[in-house]
Amino acid sequence: MAEYQKVYGIGGEFDSAGSLMQAAEKIRDLGFKKWDVHTPFPVHGMDAAMGLGKSWLSGPVLVGGATGTLTAALLTFIPSWGIYPMIVHGKPFDWRVLPAFFPIFFELTVLFAAFSTVIALLVMDQLPKWYHPVFNWDHFKKVTDDGFFIVIEARDPKFSEVKTRELLESLGGKHVTLIQD
Amino acid sequence: MSNTHDIPVPHPEKLDSKQFSSLKSLFLFAGGAGLLISLIGLFVPSLREQFAFSWLFGFSYFFTICLGCIFWTCLHHATDSDWSVVVRRQFENLSSLVPYFALFFIPILICAGILFKWWNLSPGDDPLLDGKSGFLNKPFFIIRAVLYFAVLSAFAFYLKKHSTLQDSDGNVSRSFSMRKLGVGGIPAVALGITFSGIDWLMGLNYHWFSTMWGVYLFAGAAGSSMSLLVLLITALKARGYLKVVNAEHYHTMGKFMFAFSVFWAYIGFSQYMLIWYANIPEETTYYITRNTGGWWYLSVLLVVGRFLLPFAVLLLQWSKKAPKFLSVVAIWILVMQLVDIYVVVLPALHGEGLSPSIFDFTSLVGIGGILGWILIRKVESSNLFPTKDPRLAASLKLTN
Repeated sequence: MAEYQKVYGIGGEFDSAGSLMQAAEKIRDLGFKKWDVHTPFPVHGMDAAMGLGKSWLSGPVLVGGATGTLTAALLTFIPSWGIYPMIVHGKPFDWRVLPAFFPIFFELTVLFAAFSTVIALLVMDQLPKWYHPVFNWDHFKKVTDDGFFIVIEARDPKFSEVKTRELLESLGGKHVTLIQD
Repeated sequence: MSNTHDIPVPHPEKLDSKQFSSLKSLFLFAGGAGLLISLIGLFVPSLREQFAFSWLFGFSYFFTICLGCIFWTCLHHATDSDWSVVVRRQFENLSSLVPYFALFFIPILICAGILFKWWNLSPGDDPLLDGKSGFLNKPFFIIRAVLYFAVLSAFAFYLKKHSTLQDSDGNVSRSFSMRKLGVGGIPAVALGITFSGIDWLMGLNYHWFSTMWGVYLFAGAAGSSMSLLVLLITALKARGYLKVVNAEHYHTMGKFMFAFSVFWAYIGFSQYMLIWYANIPEETTYYITRNTGGWWYLSVLLVVGRFLLPFAVLLLQWSKKAPKFLSVVAIWILVMQLVDIYVVVLPALHGEGLSPSIFDFTSLVGIGGILGWILIRKVESSNLFPTKDPRLAASLKLTN
């Protein structure tokens, strides 16, 4: 069967988090955009080494938190001051009873912020995802154990099957492999 | 990563004593003048009551912040922290001020009869006091005060001693000794700030009690001492020292300032809400006094200034990474801590409403000036950061 195989990118394995970081800095400085590093554990300073900016996660968290506070305010004010005013513990039912609602403000702010964090995180990471081309590369299984990988994607404008392979090898990459989509 | 990202070992830095000589004499002069005017209050009977409360206010402000500094030093060692190695020496300098508070405590002891109503009561006068007399009695009060100063001074002294000796001999085993001191020091500071708070601040009205009192004082003190550290580091950097401290260290310090602004509000509100909701007269007296007259404005200022404002400002990432901006926030937090201690102490005297006195100012300047003068001498006496700490390299390349 004549099969057309699309190239996803080129991956290389590195010895340690340190050499991976050094290679990442070089690739960043060469101007590559569509590439990623894969490690068994988070590596401090890797975001700077890869040239990643500040994540936009904080935006959705702020919006979620503010929505939570507003929801809590409406949930407490409307019944207590509007549709069903009731005297509890001899406390008045005007703004002076506000401290009693603070725990609700706090809890709903945290809850909504947490929800929006998780949802935004799934969106950012494009999860759930059932297929990814890097798993076509057998050697990549080591990434959950002791493997440190860099994968440069074919859709990067600077990508070239020959030159990118040479680049990864010159940076100390081992088992440099062409990954099929 | 040390194999690829080698950072040259920084040279030891020492403060040039000439550079700060004018600031030192300013502190000494202001402190001396403040003490002198305050002491007039001690010796003139008609002014003594106002003096006693004002002095307790100034004393408590600096004492709680100093205890916060011991806490941070201990926490650094107990958790084997990397990030704080370059700023740790300044915490050690601030911590080692604690024995001098024993001297500043003498006027409080002299005025104890004015400050603490239980001091002059005899058994049988008040059944509420009789129930508490196992704790609230003169000999035990003095024994406790001696214990606070002795134990906390010992921790501060040995932590600094090991740290400065390591500068010269580079002995790694000192880090292990300091870790043991740190683990022991955290409960010592916790007990010290709780029981001294109960003795000297909650004891202003022996009827009143709150189980959150110690945590409340600690929350305010820990955030304020981190703010004080930011100011001290910025002052040293402005004169060209401590180039090893970078925006990443400021970011971490800013995060702690943020965390403890939130923690203070959490504890302060928890204390308030339980008392407000239960509505028991014995407990509500504290807040009724502080929510009437001029005190109401200061209480509201605390909610806005000690929590809402720092919370909103420090939530942004850039504000924690900008040393100058963070220093302004640090000054603001220290002023708010001042308001907090003021609202704790002075309403016990002026229950009818806010009534500022010159002694509030002079005791603050007096104690603060003398402590500032001693602090500069302490900073001069050793390297500005631990030069042979095994975790120095990790601290230099901190990334958040």
